[in-house]
Amino acid sequence: MERLGAIERAIHELGKLPGIGPKTAERLTHYLLTADRSQVVALTDALRALKEAVRPCRQCFNPTEEELCRICRDPHRDSSVVCVVEQPRDLMALERTGTYRGLYHVLQGRLAPLENIGPEQLTIDALLERVRRGGIQEVIMATNPTLEGDGTALYISNLLANSGVRITRLARGIPSGGVLEFANTQMLADALEGRRAF
Amino acid sequence: MSEKALALVVRAIDWSETSRIATLWTRELGKVRALAKGGRRLGSNFESALDLLTVCRIVLLRKSSGSLDLLTEAQVVERFPRLRIDLAAFYAGCYIAELLADWTEDDDPHPKIFDEACAALRVLGDPPRATGLRLARFELVLLEELGYRPVFDRCAVCAAGVADNAAAAFSPSVGGMVCAKCRPGRRDSRPLGPNTRRAFQALAESDDAWRRDWPLAVQKELRLLLGEYVTYVRGRRPRLLGYVEKLSLPGHRGTPADSGGGDREPPSGQREDQAR
Ligand SMILES: [Zn+2]
Ligand SMILES: [Zn+2]
Repeated sequence: MERLGAIERAIHELGKLPGIGPKTAERLTHYLLTADRSQVVALTDALRALKEAVRPCRQCFNPTEEELCRICRDPHRDSSVVCVVEQPRDLMALERTGTYRGLYHVLQGRLAPLENIGPEQLTIDALLERVRRGGIQEVIMATNPTLEGDGTALYISNLLANSGVRITRLARGIPSGGVLEFANTQMLADALEGRRAF
Repeated sequence: MSEKALALVVRAIDWSETSRIATLWTRELGKVRALAKGGRRLGSNFESALDLLTVCRIVLLRKSSGSLDLLTEAQVVERFPRLRIDLAAFYAGCYIAELLADWTEDDDPHPKIFDEACAALRVLGDPPRATGLRLARFELVLLEELGYRPVFDRCAVCAAGVADNAAAAFSPSVGGMVCAKCRPGRRDSRPLGPNTRRAFQALAESDDAWRRDWPLAVQKELRLLLGEYVTYVRGRRPRLLGYVEKLSLPGHRGTPADSGGGDREPPSGQREDQAR
């Protein structure tokens, strides 16, 4: 295959981004070609930092540039409640509701037996370890209400069944089969408010 | 051309920010793959119908060969709530999805397989001890429909009758029971107890024999042999079989010690911890 030139490469890479079709990728590339050098350098620096400086929080696996993320470091948050989500984006959606004051645990996915994703690919062991260390009174299962999300919550709640911790599940303000990321803020706030014992 | 069908979602993968590709096992058209634009958005016209193991009424825009069909409508008809509260049923349901998604051909309708899959998904986990047997009934109907019904009423090699209590074996490669005379040299054969043989026959012939209280040893042997047969016929071991073999045994409590991770053995000591 012929090696791609710089312009084609930029179009190709930009075109891989979600929501960007070939036309948009081309437009962006031509914009960057004519833009200030400093602007383009700032962009590439920002992108590189994303990969080099950001890592999962040591405690909750939320992306951060520190050892502990902003939420885990906040002394005003209630560290006795942990809300378990599939991805950082779900955490951000819940944070936008402004109603939740506890901490989080990001699983980095969900059990998907058909895609070969088992418990060992997720951060479940770390969650169990957090619970074992003590201080947690309630674990809120906020995995997506899809079959796989529910299966994941079921799996974890079985593991925690004898831990003495209260296990709750988000109420169904979110329709079954739906995805947290795309739920509106009110829907999520309602779901948090009406959580119930698992 | 637009077609309507009743479909079971056996696989759904995210395709882009907003769309999904669903593998749908339909009653009318067999297995089809379709692109659902907007399939990831809450409140889209798909109404979250594309969640795994949901039955939905769909409208499909069939494309010419080579390109994906387009899903234009999907409305939830039925969900199976037990799969969300019983871990064994969850894995058993995934196993059904795997067999339907990966084994069957596209556009080859078998209404009987569709009905049987839904019937199984409806009752998996009720009672919990019968999960493995209910699954076995599904597998036997699937095998029969695909033309692989295992032979249990005679020797699959010499066709001679085998007395009820006579020694017999099961060989995946000959497709069923082999008599004592034909067994030597069949390296894939395993002993087949008379009760297991009866259980196989009953499960293949009746749709409620799985409710009977078959002894644990029979259930274990039956699951083992059926797993080997399905693996042989399909040409590779189903991914979910490891879960199914562990979870569908009576006495499971849906605890992780029972579910393990596929073929992995659970960490030692965990089982005892859970039981206490
Ligand atoms: Zn954190
Ligand atoms: Zn024979």
